[in-house]
Amino acid sequence: MDTRDDRYSGKIFFNAVLPLVRTIIEDVPALAASLKGKSGAFQVSAMTDEGIWATHFIVDNGKVTTALGPCADKPTVELAFKTLRDFNGFMKGTSKKLPAIRGLMRFGILIPFMRALLKMASLLKLKEAPKDEETQRLLVKLYFYLLSSGISQLNREGHPTITEWTTKSPNRVYAWTVDGYEDVAAYLRVKAGKTKAARGRYTRSQPFFTMRFIDLESALATLLGTGDMMELVAGGKMIMEGGPEFGNMLGDYMLLVGSYAQA
Amino acid sequence: MPLTKEELLAIEAKTHEHRRTIVETTLCAGSGHIGGALSMIDVTTLLYSRFMRIDPENPDWEDRDRFILSKGHAGIGFVAILADLGYIDRKDLETFNLTGSNLGIHLDANKVPGVDASTGSLGHGLSIALGTALAAKQLGKEYRTFCLLGDGECQEGSIWEVAMAIAHFNPPNLVTLVDRNHAQIDGMTEDVMPLEPFADKWRAFGFHTVTVDGHDFDAMNDAIREALHRKDMPTCIILDTCKGKGIGFCEGDYRWHYGGITQEMGEEAMRDLDAYYERRVAAIEQRGEE
Amino acid sequence: MGISFTSINQTKLSTGEVYCETLCELAEENPRIVALTADLGQSSKIGEFMKKFPNRFYQFGIAEQNMYGAAAGMAKAGLIPFTSSFAIFTSCRALDQVHTDICYQRANVKMISSHAGTSFGQAGTTHHSTEDIAIMRSMANLVVIVPADGMETANVVRAAVEYDGPVYIRINRGFDQLVYKDLDYGFEIGKAVQLAEGTDVTIIACGSGVFQAVQASAELDAVGIKARVLDMHTIKPIDKDAILKACRDTRRIITVEDHNVIGGLGGAVAEVLAESGMSCAFRRLGLQDCFSPIGYHEDLMAIHGIDTNGIVKSVHDLLKLDFEDDDDWEDEV
Repeated sequence: MDTRDDRYSGKIFFNAVLPLVRTIIEDVPALAASLKGKSGAFQVSAMTDEGIWATHFIVDNGKVTTALGPCADKPTVELAFKTLRDFNGFMKGTSKKLPAIRGLMRFGILIPFMRALLKMASLLKLKEAPKDEETQRLLVKLYFYLLSSGISQLNREGHPTITEWTTKSPNRVYAWTVDGYEDVAAYLRVKAGKTKAARGRYTRSQPFFTMRFIDLESALATLLGTGDMMELVAGGKMIMEGGPEFGNMLGDYMLLVGSYAQA
Repeated sequence: MPLTKEELLAIEAKTHEHRRTIVETTLCAGSGHIGGALSMIDVTTLLYSRFMRIDPENPDWEDRDRFILSKGHAGIGFVAILADLGYIDRKDLETFNLTGSNLGIHLDANKVPGVDASTGSLGHGLSIALGTALAAKQLGKEYRTFCLLGDGECQEGSIWEVAMAIAHFNPPNLVTLVDRNHAQIDGMTEDVMPLEPFADKWRAFGFHTVTVDGHDFDAMNDAIREALHRKDMPTCIILDTCKGKGIGFCEGDYRWHYGGITQEMGEEAMRDLDAYYERRVAAIEQRGEE
Repeated sequence: MGISFTSINQTKLSTGEVYCETLCELAEENPRIVALTADLGQSSKIGEFMKKFPNRFYQFGIAEQNMYGAAAGMAKAGLIPFTSSFAIFTSCRALDQVHTDICYQRANVKMISSHAGTSFGQAGTTHHSTEDIAIMRSMANLVVIVPADGMETANVVRAAVEYDGPVYIRINRGFDQLVYKDLDYGFEIGKAVQLAEGTDVTIIACGSGVFQAVQASAELDAVGIKARVLDMHTIKPIDKDAILKACRDTRRIITVEDHNVIGGLGGAVAEVLAESGMSCAFRRLGLQDCFSPIGYHEDLMAIHGIDTNGIVKSVHDLLKLDFEDDDDWEDEV
């Protein structure tokens, strides 16, 4: 019997965390290279009260695309969890229950994706900021994508805290940015109960609110919880472009997502 | 004091020159407001020969006398005087009405030095003249303001607004003149919208009103001098004129308010003007002998 | 040069009185300033000037065309005439003179045009002026300003004297609510004043609309909607930068004016937006191409939807519109 919290966590892991695998593959040259010329599909799934939940990746001659939901055709490789709770536990790192692995021998697809999954897990487990800039970049990007999608998923799943806010909201865009890194950005569009998480900078007009970090360190300090938000704002490391009350609200929702994704 | 014979002959010669220029300019432009220009050229030449204290080198001189041609369509006549005085180049007359020229039917104060107001929309000039005269009083200046109206123009209600105001304010040094050539576009004034009793109307509005022959320099000279001296009330000088004066086929004919002339007609016009001038000179000479 | 009023004076003076006080102060310093009226000296409060400077005050009687023509003559001779009449008469009855004698010849006349819009509500349409902004905006060489209250009118009068050229100043009957508490908020011809910040919608207003817009913004803030308010006092030259910034920052613009929606402030803002190529949700509030019935100004503003309630309602309507051209609500993965 899946609880509501199980479902919230599940949606976040399937639809906000797993998609990050593609980001990692594209960002890490060795991984991208290992899929060169390959084609196939990699899927992670779990059996829930509502049927199969899944996220899958289509590889077409080395190019990876992500899709939510189960693959229409039989995937080349699949990690199939028996229950949602097993899946959530695995993703949180609290359960050692392994999924059934189908297509174990299809190393061409299996290995790169497993490596990407492991890399993702190791990155998201970090308690302190990595030292090198490349890793910092990737990590902040992952978090931005994760949190924006996570809030959107909670909305779709009907989380009362989130839906209360989105239902009443006029068309507004909330953005996350880091100065000097155009690609390290994400935004969330909200209107009358609907949400859309998107990657990159919102350029159509000025977003309603932007959580703007002046560098990667400050971003990580906030995201990893190692820095004091008040201090960061006071020190000008984090700039709230828009009403500060919206910044606090967004911060709360980010923590909420985090709470479902952690042990 | 009447003009001396020499002075009279000089003005006649100058006016004749301007009449010829009007025809020349009309020929260049192809058409023009000949009728109304030929009726007002006498008084305007007189004003600029004997009364206007101006400095063509310094068209914006603050203390200059002002002349406002409220019947702005007579610009083709006024422009002859401006060229003669050196405000504009004589050669520019050849561009009258052409695209890009500074000179057109209604002279533009923004573009033509020596023009004190851009008139053309009838009924405005006298108000501007009033304002100009009031400013003189306000600023303690002594310049004079002359405003020449058309008679058809006096059908505009705004003229009577300003007439009332002039009588009320009675600023010094403002002289109102009307070129009463009895004709307008659609016919003689008395057929279109009767103005008579015209002089009575001005009197009723508080003007000392005189009617003089608009082609008699002596009479006009006296009237203007008297107007400048009168302080108790404003003066309106109604100039009884003939539209198209000097050219046989134009004289008295309202249809020559605006017309086109061919080279042939131009030559005939010049012959008429020369003959007209000769008659006038002869008359002066004869009077001198008497 | 400072205009010194006591703060008590400032809050009590109606638009018309402030204008006249300012004019008198300026006239003390500048002997070229003269005042003209067409039998509306009492109505337009310029009567005070008449008392202080009797030989610099000219009464033209009920003859507006002559007054504007004479003003042009005075200006061309070096004076700085301030004319005072109702907006309907300046813009309609005497338009030929305004157009040809003043605008065309760039005569330095400052045309105070009062009882604008529906502010003289009880007098009915013959005395309403709901087309004058459209008319005057299209006169070349003319600066068109619609001050929001008495304070702004004082600033406008001072700026008008310093500006060389004809100016059209549109005010109401003089009983406007105050928007500004003093003169020192940085008034500049051609620069809109931002009175409230927000990124959900921008309300661009002029004249009596400004106070209403400020009130509306406060009401909207209470329900979490952040409305930016711009006092667009100068209709020409209009502050294009402020408009385009509002378009970019808020993507929704509402204009408010006591005027026909055709050709006035709304039209001017629309022109800027349309030419910029930027898209924006847009609505003009004003008289919807109609003449106004008789009534008190406040009531008429409500009828025409240009009061606080009307603005708030329009903002709500506008927020429901979707201007993003993609209806794709799927998360990017």
